[in-house]
Amino acid sequence: MPADAATAAVVRPAGPALEMAGIGKRFPGVLALENVDLTLEPGKVHALMGENGAGKSTLIKILAGVYQRDAGTVRIGGAEADLRSPRDALRAGIKVVFQEIALISEFTVAENIFLEEYPVNGLGSIRWSTIRKEAAALFARLGFDVDPAAKVGQLPVSQQQMVEIARALAHEARIVVMDEPTSSLTPNEVALLFTVIRRLTGLGIAVLYVTHKLDEVFEIADTVTVLRDGRHISTRPIGAHTHESLIQDMIGRKIDNLFPRERGAARGDVVVKVEGLSTDKLKDVSFEAKAGEVLGFFGLMGAGRTELAKAIVGFDPIRTGRISIGGTPLVPHNTRTGVALGIGLLTEDRKSEGLMLELPVLQNTSLAALEDFARAGFVDEGRERSAVQQFVDRFRVKTPSLNQQIKNLSGGNQQKVLLARWLMRGLKVIVVDEPTRGIDVGAKSEIFALIDRLAGEGLAVIMMTSEMPELLGLSDRIAVMAEGRITAVMDREGATQEAILNAAIA
Amino acid sequence: MPQSPSLSAAAGPKRPTELLRALFRRNETVLLVCLVALIVFFSFASGTFLTTRNITNVLGQASLAMIAGIGIGVVVLAGEIDVSIGSLVGAVGIPLVVVMNQTGSLELGMAAALLLALGVGVANGYLAAYLGINSLIVTLGTMFVIRGGIYLYTGQRAISDDLQLESFYQMGNGRLLGTVPYPALVALVLLVAFVYLMRHRPFGRQIYAVGGNPEVARLAGYNVKRLKFAAFVICSLLAGISGILLSSRLGSAVHVAGLGFEFQVVAAVVLGGVSLAGGVGSLLGVALGVLILAFLSNGLGMLNIATEWQLVITGLIIIAAVAFDELKRRRQ
Ligand SMILES: Nc1ncnc2c1ncn2[C@@H]1O[C@H](COP(=O)(O)OP(=O)(O)OP(=O)(O)O)[C@@H](O)[C@H]1O
Ligand SMILES: [Mg+2]
Repeated sequence: MPADAATAAVVRPAGPALEMAGIGKRFPGVLALENVDLTLEPGKVHALMGENGAGKSTLIKILAGVYQRDAGTVRIGGAEADLRSPRDALRAGIKVVFQEIALISEFTVAENIFLEEYPVNGLGSIRWSTIRKEAAALFARLGFDVDPAAKVGQLPVSQQQMVEIARALAHEARIVVMDEPTSSLTPNEVALLFTVIRRLTGLGIAVLYVTHKLDEVFEIADTVTVLRDGRHISTRPIGAHTHESLIQDMIGRKIDNLFPRERGAARGDVVVKVEGLSTDKLKDVSFEAKAGEVLGFFGLMGAGRTELAKAIVGFDPIRTGRISIGGTPLVPHNTRTGVALGIGLLTEDRKSEGLMLELPVLQNTSLAALEDFARAGFVDEGRERSAVQQFVDRFRVKTPSLNQQIKNLSGGNQQKVLLARWLMRGLKVIVVDEPTRGIDVGAKSEIFALIDRLAGEGLAVIMMTSEMPELLGLSDRIAVMAEGRITAVMDREGATQEAILNAAIA
Repeated sequence: MPQSPSLSAAAGPKRPTELLRALFRRNETVLLVCLVALIVFFSFASGTFLTTRNITNVLGQASLAMIAGIGIGVVVLAGEIDVSIGSLVGAVGIPLVVVMNQTGSLELGMAAALLLALGVGVANGYLAAYLGINSLIVTLGTMFVIRGGIYLYTGQRAISDDLQLESFYQMGNGRLLGTVPYPALVALVLLVAFVYLMRHRPFGRQIYAVGGNPEVARLAGYNVKRLKFAAFVICSLLAGISGILLSSRLGSAVHVAGLGFEFQVVAAVVLGGVSLAGGVGSLLGVALGVLILAFLSNGLGMLNIATEWQLVITGLIIIAAVAFDELKRRRQ
């Protein structure tokens, strides 16, 4: 029982668990952090908040030994620490749940838990039975429902995230850092995580918690530090904050209405018609979406929203059923036809399905619209650049230049690039799957406004979401899914949270 | 295929049909079935195939590729490649024979050979792992440099073994109890040792992790460069052993020894289900891949199929096998 036994043995130091002072970090063209201070107290949850690109992950990676700071000092338990590699950080008792899932997908869950230190017998052989038993015990203790013998690569993202969390808790720790650990979790799983966090703080462990979800912060945090543009803005006890003051600190202005509605009620013709669609996961799904409306799909994890999204744009094969876009059937069933007919998908999993991480912002944005910039078979780079620049400005994508590799952008900014990619194409229909995962409030409100504007301009927007406020705030009509079927369709006016949840459980 | 055998075994299926299905999901089972089918086919097709003499001969020949294949397997699992082993296999014969001729000692000759292998491994590993130069390019370079060095030193002639030590001859050509060739025994011992290392020692699992996802491995506190470096050194040392056995079989240091050997071995490794992307596959698969190719070429030879056609058939089988593997993976 490494976690509880070992962590309990950590003596609770009198002073702060961690003191970072005057931290600075510069990347080519970006000042990611400038003179940032952060102090963690043992047994307390400290939330770190800020817009996309504010520097949260950078600060964490410095703490984790992934990046080297350019300026400042780090003290752990009062002693100055030099964190030159992830190994140093692990030795210092800092366990990090990274924003991007950091697991070996070919290994089992249990093996991933013990990646940092395999338990060995006297001869140095790995004790697989110990790994198996302790992993099972760990999940039982945390209350996480994950099969330790499963291969990580075959688990859904939410389970991978729980493995990631469990892994940070498997070994002795003084400081546990979580960078957006709940971005893929269901409300139940989040509740479990919070129980675990409280148990950790009960043992005197300091927790640093990064999230964009305000409700979570008010529920779990003792103190909040806000960063903006790489600078320290405020550190206050949570009691001194309201939602408004926190948002104000984060984005430096107020947001009056997260869900502005500028578009009228007018709706156009049916542009998407799906009849009797079945796949491995979906069963007999039929619906229509009209030009100028936002059709929201709600459902619990595993309800089949992502599968539906992928099927209707031609990405995943279908078994039976008909899909037509603007009156033309989606045949042959592939994304090439889909794009030609004017339907695009903003994927839920932007790392593996959306972005070309090594390529710059420019190519990532113009990918789907390249043919539009072609002249006699060659891409006119000047036109490509100016068109992309327009979108980058309009969406306020934070990047030092169009040549920056996309992997160096913060999560929210990556999402904006993907949205821009599809909108450059001049689509009829856009399917967005969890459009605001990992995105800060400021950017969220921009993306909501954008979706509103797009619908206003006559696009049909099909939005898959598990966020109730987003669903209710943005949709004209709401379809609820459960186990691969549509269980209810309602108008926004008639929809209540209760009715939606009931249909989702059905 | 599951990377941690004991884990998947424990999560083991209960009913026999499930057991069978789980067994067949394993790449090694499929390879084993192919190997057995191959042997059965040739046994019927050719009267002289299924004789102790022939089978042990094939095992003896295959063991050189097997030993080198283990090394290539380790390097590829670590996410790198080494195509210099063919040249190295040829090169180690020189210090071996030269030192033996001068000192009269087989042991000193072998030590000199392994020292050369170690040097090549260190060079490859330093350039690829520490300087971060693409390993295909690095080892392509060392492949040419070593081969050129061999030609320069030997003047394109074989260096004969003046001593004619019985022990040197026995190493590559002798047989335990008159049946099992010694090289096959060496290969078996090394295979068992490395299968254990890769499955049951942290080092082996770390190699898998580094090949599977170097960034994650680094975050887990691994010294990625050192692990990759170690893989190159292991690979060269095993190629060195293979080269020592080869010169014993040839009875001299032959300047063209090992030409094209690297691709033969890489083919077997890939056939054995090791992904060139790194982190996926097993050494057992590698061993089966080596055996399949060895029995295939032997069997086709016995059927008097021209070597030209043997090459074509071997190539097609490799492509088919990898395609099959890929399709299976996609279905999962
Ligand atoms: N390796 C890198 N090279 C260049 N720039 C980088 C690199 N990593 C981060 N940046 C830049 O540093 C800034 C801070 O990024 P960081 O990832 O820390 O933001 P964040 O606060 O975690 O955002 P999010 O909420 O979207 O995760 C961003 O402008 C980003 O583009
Ligand atoms: Mg971040």
